[in-house]
Amino acid sequence: MRLGPGPAAALLLAAAAAALLADRVATIGAIVAILFLVCLRAPLRRLRAYLFFGLVSSLGVMVISPFLALEGGNVLWSGPVVPVLGPLDVTVEELAIAAENALRLAAVTLAFTAYALLLDHDQLVSSASFARRSSLAVALATRLVPTLERDATGLVEAVRGRGLAVTGVRGHARLLSPLVAGSLERAFNLAEAMEARGFGRPGRTRVPGPAWSGLDRAALVLAALLVLGGVLWL
Amino acid sequence: MALARVERLTYAYPGAGRPALSKISLELAVGESVALLGPSGSGKSTLLRALAALVPHFHGGRFGGRVEVAGLDTRRARPAELAGIVATVFQDPEDQVVMTRVANEAAFGLENLGVPAADIRPRADEALAAVGALHLAGRRTTDLSGGELQRVCLAGALAVRPQLLLLDEPTSQLDPAGAEEFLGRVEELGATVVLSEHRTARALELCSRVLFLDEGRLLLDASREQALEWLAEHRPAYLPDAELDLPAPPASREAALRLQGVGFAYEPGLAVLDDLDLEARRGEVLVLEGPNGSGKTTVAKLAAGLLEPDCGTVTRCGRAAYLSQDPGRYLVCERALDEVALAVGGDRERTRAALELVGLGWAAERHPRDLSSGERERLGLAAVAVAEPDVLVLDEPTRGIDPERKADLARWLHAYAARGRAVLVATHDRGFPAHRRIGLGQEVAIAA
Repeated sequence: MRLGPGPAAALLLAAAAAALLADRVATIGAIVAILFLVCLRAPLRRLRAYLFFGLVSSLGVMVISPFLALEGGNVLWSGPVVPVLGPLDVTVEELAIAAENALRLAAVTLAFTAYALLLDHDQLVSSASFARRSSLAVALATRLVPTLERDATGLVEAVRGRGLAVTGVRGHARLLSPLVAGSLERAFNLAEAMEARGFGRPGRTRVPGPAWSGLDRAALVLAALLVLGGVLWL
Repeated sequence: MALARVERLTYAYPGAGRPALSKISLELAVGESVALLGPSGSGKSTLLRALAALVPHFHGGRFGGRVEVAGLDTRRARPAELAGIVATVFQDPEDQVVMTRVANEAAFGLENLGVPAADIRPRADEALAAVGALHLAGRRTTDLSGGELQRVCLAGALAVRPQLLLLDEPTSQLDPAGAEEFLGRVEELGATVVLSEHRTARALELCSRVLFLDEGRLLLDASREQALEWLAEHRPAYLPDAELDLPAPPASREAALRLQGVGFAYEPGLAVLDDLDLEARRGEVLVLEGPNGSGKTTVAKLAAGLLEPDCGTVTRCGRAAYLSQDPGRYLVCERALDEVALAVGGDRERTRAALELVGLGWAAERHPRDLSSGERERLGLAAVAVAEPDVLVLDEPTRGIDPERKADLARWLHAYAARGRAVLVATHDRGFPAHRRIGLGQEVAIAA
C-alpha cells in the first residue's frame, strides 16, 4: 500500500512544523535524521543540488548567527565592537541557539526536498478540494528548481564555450541576472500556453483520483500528533 | 465554409515601432491544411496567436481589423473561451508543459474545458496513442527528450478535438524521421491545420495551400502548385531542392581537431560514446549527423573541451569554441555589444566587426532579450566566433531558423572555414551543406 501525496505532504509539513516548534537540539536532530533518510529515496543525481543548498544555508546560519546574537554570559571569544551590529562576541548560549536554528532550517529544507522530489504534484493538485489555483502555482514553482538548475548549467556552458572561465562567487553571481530573466521569460510563455489551453474557464472538471486508504488516514492523524507534540512536549 | 476569417488585421506589440502584422486578410476553410512560411520575425507566430485570440488579449498592443473563429470575434472572446475550438502547439515544448506526468499533461486541456470526469482519461489516452506516445503516459514530463515532449504537447492539443489546430514550428526539436512521423500524424487528423514550419519540404507536401508572410505582410496566398512557382521566382531558398553555391572543399589535410578512441558515459554503465574516431581538418565544414539521442551534443562538447572523455584522446590545434543549442536563451549581458565583447576582452573594433558580419550592427546598443529569436541566435554566433577560434563547434545551429537564414549561416560558416579553420556542426538537418558528413561512427558522404 502506498501513501497518497496529500497525506504525505501533510506529514512532511508536520515534520517541518514540529522541528520549528521543538526546543531540544536532540529532538530537532532526530527529525532532521528521519527526513534525511526519507530524502535518500530520491535519485542521487537530483538530490545533490537540494542537499548542497540545505547544507550551505544551514552552515551559514550556524557560522554567522552567533556573531550577530547577544545571548548568554559564557563568553568563548570576544571580538571587536562593530557599528550597527554591536560587539562580535561568541557565547556558549549563542552557539546552542545557532545549532538549533541551523537544524531547524535543515529540517525545513529536507521536508521541501522530499516534497519536491518524491511526491506526485499532479495528484496533489487534483486532490486539492480548495485553492486549486494556488496548489497548481506551488507545483509549478516547485518544478522551477530543476529547470533553474538546467538553465544555470546551460549558461555556464555557454560562457565556457566562448573560452571564458566561470569562477568564484563573482563569476557565478554574474549569471544570476540572466538566470532570473530566463525564468521570467519561461513563466510568461507558460502562462500564455495555459491561457490558450483554457485555464481559468469556469466549470473545470478533474480526473478522478484514487480513494483514500487507511494508511492515508493514519498519516493524517500522525501529522496532527506531530504538530501537537511539537507544541506540548518536544 | 469558412472556419476562420481574418479581415484587414493590423497588430503591433506594446512599445513596438512597426506593426508585426499589417492589413492581413484571409479565410480558412473547414478541413484544409495551410502551410505558413516566411522569414524569422515575419509575423507567423503573431498570426497564429491572433487566430487563438492570444493577440490582443494576452499580449496587449494595438489591434486593428477583425478576426473571427467559428463565429466568435476574438476582440470579445478570450483565448480560454476559444480553447475547445482552437488548439495551439507552440515552438518550445518545455515552455508549455504544465503537469508533472505525461498522462495528466494530455488531460490538462480536457479538465479545463469541463469534459465529464469519466471521459477525460480515455480521451487523453486516445490522443497519446494517436501521436505514438501512449507508452510514455506514466513518465515524468521532466524526464522526456525534446522530441518526446513535442509529441506529448501535440497529444494535449489533439485531446480537445479542436476544429482549428495551430502548429508553430512543431518539429524544431525532432530528427528527420521524428519530424516525418509527427507531420504524418497531423495529416491524418482531419482538422483545419495551420502549420508554421521552416522545414518546407514536408510542409509543402502536406499542405494544399501556402501563405507567405514577410515583415508582417501577406505576400502570397495560393495553392501549393502556384506557391511552388512563386517561391522559385521570388524565394528559391524555400524550395525543397534549393541548392547553395559554396566554396570548393579544402586542399588542406591538416587536422585542427582529432578524437581518437574516445569513450564517454554520463552515468556508469550507460555509455553514450564508445571508441569514437573523428578528425576535423582546417578549411572544412564537417557535419555530424544522427537521430535524437545518438550523442551528437556529447561529441560537440568533447570537441570543444567542455567535457573530458572517459577514455581516448581529444587533440585540438589551437582554440576551440562552442555554440550551444538554443543560444538565444543563454545570453548573459545587458547589451548586445557587451555580449560579443566578452570573449575578446572588450575589444570594441572586433566586436563591432563581428556584429556587422552577422547582420546585427544596428543592434549593438539593444538588450539581447529585446531581439527576435533569430536575431538572438545570430548574436550567440557572433559572441562565439568573435575570438576567431581554430575549431568552431556548433550544436543544432539551424534549429528554428528560416531557409534564407540557414543559407546565410551555411555561407558564413564556409567562408569562416575557408580562412583556415575547422567548423564542426552537430545537426539532424540533412540539408545542411558540408564538405564531409559523419554519421557517428561512420563517414557518410563527401559533399560540396
